[in-house]
Amino acid sequence: MSPVETLARIGRFGLFAAAVTRRAVTPPWNVRDFFRHTWLVATRCMLPVAAVTFPFGMVIGLQGLEIFELFGAQRMLPSLISVAVLRELSPVLASVLVAAQGGSAFAAELGAMRIKEELDATEVMAVDSLRWHVVPRVLALVLACPILNVLGTVAGLLGGFVMAVGIQGEPAGVFLANLWALTVPFDLAAGVIKTTIFGLLIGLVACYHGFNATGGAAGVGKGVNDTVVHAVLLFFGANYLLTSAMFAL
Amino acid sequence: MSWLASIGRFAGFCFAVARANAFRMPPPGRTIEEAYRIGVQSLPVLLTISVFVGTNLSLQGYNAFQPMGGQRLVGMFVALAGVRELAPIIAAAMVAAKAGTEMASQIAVMRTREQIDALEVMAVNPLWWLVTPRLLGIILVMPALTILAIFTTIAASWLVATAQLGLNGTDFLDYVRGSIHARDLVACEIKGMLFGVVICLVSCYCGFQSSKGPEGVGQATNAAVVVSSVTCVSLNFLISQVLYGG
Repeated sequence: MSPVETLARIGRFGLFAAAVTRRAVTPPWNVRDFFRHTWLVATRCMLPVAAVTFPFGMVIGLQGLEIFELFGAQRMLPSLISVAVLRELSPVLASVLVAAQGGSAFAAELGAMRIKEELDATEVMAVDSLRWHVVPRVLALVLACPILNVLGTVAGLLGGFVMAVGIQGEPAGVFLANLWALTVPFDLAAGVIKTTIFGLLIGLVACYHGFNATGGAAGVGKGVNDTVVHAVLLFFGANYLLTSAMFAL
Repeated sequence: MSWLASIGRFAGFCFAVARANAFRMPPPGRTIEEAYRIGVQSLPVLLTISVFVGTNLSLQGYNAFQPMGGQRLVGMFVALAGVRELAPIIAAAMVAAKAGTEMASQIAVMRTREQIDALEVMAVNPLWWLVTPRLLGIILVMPALTILAIFTTIAASWLVATAQLGLNGTDFLDYVRGSIHARDLVACEIKGMLFGVVICLVSCYCGFQSSKGPEGVGQATNAAVVVSSVTCVSLNFLISQVLYGG
């Protein structure tokens, strides 16, 4: 793709985002679909998020123990686990999974509706398809992403606990006593703020690719593919900026 | 219980792939083509993500170790967390997101257009013709992608450590060098290849099992990336436990 074309696509995405935002802040709202989509995304992503953060918590426990054993500071392990899971791993992994599962499902749904000309049909019936189909989905991801982040945090900490206490035989009391040594409530809040922004980015990218799908069944597949890749690229970039800003570095 | 049935069907699929390839050369010429496609397509995304993983490792390591006055340990943190665990997993996740979804959607589209039935009519085994080159291709490129991810992660975190956090770059690299051994890199390569096999088989399975029409293609693509990334992360834990645990 030529640079000019890329630039044009970014511009179109910006216009799309502006159109969605304008409809999101003005009534009427499609409240019922919003809750339905939130529920669907949250329940669909629950298992993948937990299934990814739990083993990752265990891996941090495993590798962290190796570092801290060098200094005889095994009691610091739970602090490292809670810092890593709360601040970075859970927000990022939960968002990757939300993009892969929830975002791509939305892109597939909207893409199929576009290919089958259902979106055109709603337009013909004087129903604003952006307001009716896109806004509830974007907002659903904005709400579901932080909730799934909290779930991922719990699963990650549990994974670390199972690794350190259950497998490596560290004392459980020491683990729990040191768990919150380096973390403050702000860390959890930071994760929630981050994932809210990531959820917005995922929702906009997914709905953009689904809404603008062209070229039959293959186009839907390509839209889903692009959704995952572009969403992940976008929020990893945003993650660096947000982390820098939050630590005021 | 439907997931149990899916696992059974997946095992049957893997067995069928193995049988289709036993005592038979892979389709000539297609492997290199697929390897080139998978590798080159995933590369820009993978490198970009690795840069951001590296930058964040530095930021988080610096913040975690600062209260103890151990800023110099950032290099060690980056090396252990980045090289041993994150780089292979990030490479796998990005290949799953880029190449895996593409495999799933290509095969699902062929299913929708009944091209797979056409292959069978021509007495060409679709598992041999479609899956084998992708499988060999991904095994070929995953180690290279993993090494590039490792290099980019370390380079980016070095850049942040020296330019943004003001740490001593030589110290940083000494710690990186001290905590990574050749066997860690070999372990990464083995992980990478195994992840590649998982991604390819899961994605192709999702493509073959898809229902027809645009929804079928979308769902197959969706399932491919989720199932393969979850499987890779779980597999990563098992491998790490075997290599570094106990």
